[in-house]
Amino acid sequence: MIRSNLFIKRKIGTQFVIVAIGEATKRFNGMITVNETGSFIWDQLEKDITLDELVNAVTAEYEVDADTARADAGRFIETLKEVGALAQ
Amino acid sequence: MKIRIAELNIEIQNRYPYTARQCVGYEAEFDRADITVCVPIEDVKREFERSVEGCSPGYAEFICIYRAIARELPRFGAFVFHASVVECDGRAYAFTATSGTGKSTHTALWLQEFGARARIINGDKPIFRFFGDTLYACGTPWCGKERQGCNAVSPLAALCFLERDTVNRIAPIDDAEAVKHLFHQIFIPESIEAAGLLFDLLDRTVRNIPTYLLGCNISPEAAHVAYRGMQRGENE
Repeated sequence: MIRSNLFIKRKIGTQFVIVAIGEATKRFNGMITVNETGSFIWDQLEKDITLDELVNAVTAEYEVDADTARADAGRFIETLKEVGALAQ
Repeated sequence: MKIRIAELNIEIQNRYPYTARQCVGYEAEFDRADITVCVPIEDVKREFERSVEGCSPGYAEFICIYRAIARELPRFGAFVFHASVVECDGRAYAFTATSGTGKSTHTALWLQEFGARARIINGDKPIFRFFGDTLYACGTPWCGKERQGCNAVSPLAALCFLERDTVNRIAPIDDAEAVKHLFHQIFIPESIEAAGLLFDLLDRTVRNIPTYLLGCNISPEAAHVAYRGMQRGENE
């Protein structure tokens, strides 16, 4: 998995937001607000990464067990897929 | 033609006279333009086809020109924001809401209630621009159907999201709520670089400008509740 380069993440105040740019707005013209873990996952998706690698990265960074991390990351990945924010 | 808005020199290569008529009061003379705008005729045609019946090609071009200017603004620390901005006692207050909620109706109450102390900076699409850490609301010729606005620059004291209510009430909101509202009132440029700069400006905006949610009706009291509420916020 790797994120689309037609989306950007920025911190506005205390909020992390992910937004579609240009052509990508035809499919998703909204905004995704994410917490710090979501922001961390988005950063990991800059390079091609498997779900297992992602779960390892999350458990190494945060105090969370692998099952919870896998469930949370899986849900977030699904959301990103739905809006077209994953390139593959 | 050459105009100056938000302290920027803008050269516009327009085809139709409509833009020149709308820009009266903003003409300028300069040798070097900060922004040069020439809208492709295909863009004007597309805008004309999708715009409301009765609009002219000149109007469509006028809309396209502002969009082209908006794309360039973030690199100057500026952006277009959909709001009605009223200045009172030398400081600007921006009211924003979904179309039809009554932004203009509310700012008209300020003119009625505060008289010569108040004026509309821009009734629809002002430019906000940072000079240092201060955000200024700037008048532009793109100021809505009612053509309310003036060629002036005023420091922005507060940003207020407006909704209809039976009673008048105002309260500060946190940046999580402000971001949700802000997102619907901006024009996001197509380039990643400009969009990134724009979001950095929005970050500075929510960090520097107090944000409020105003529930209001159309009574004159609404203007006083809004002004008092925002002044109280500044003094706290």
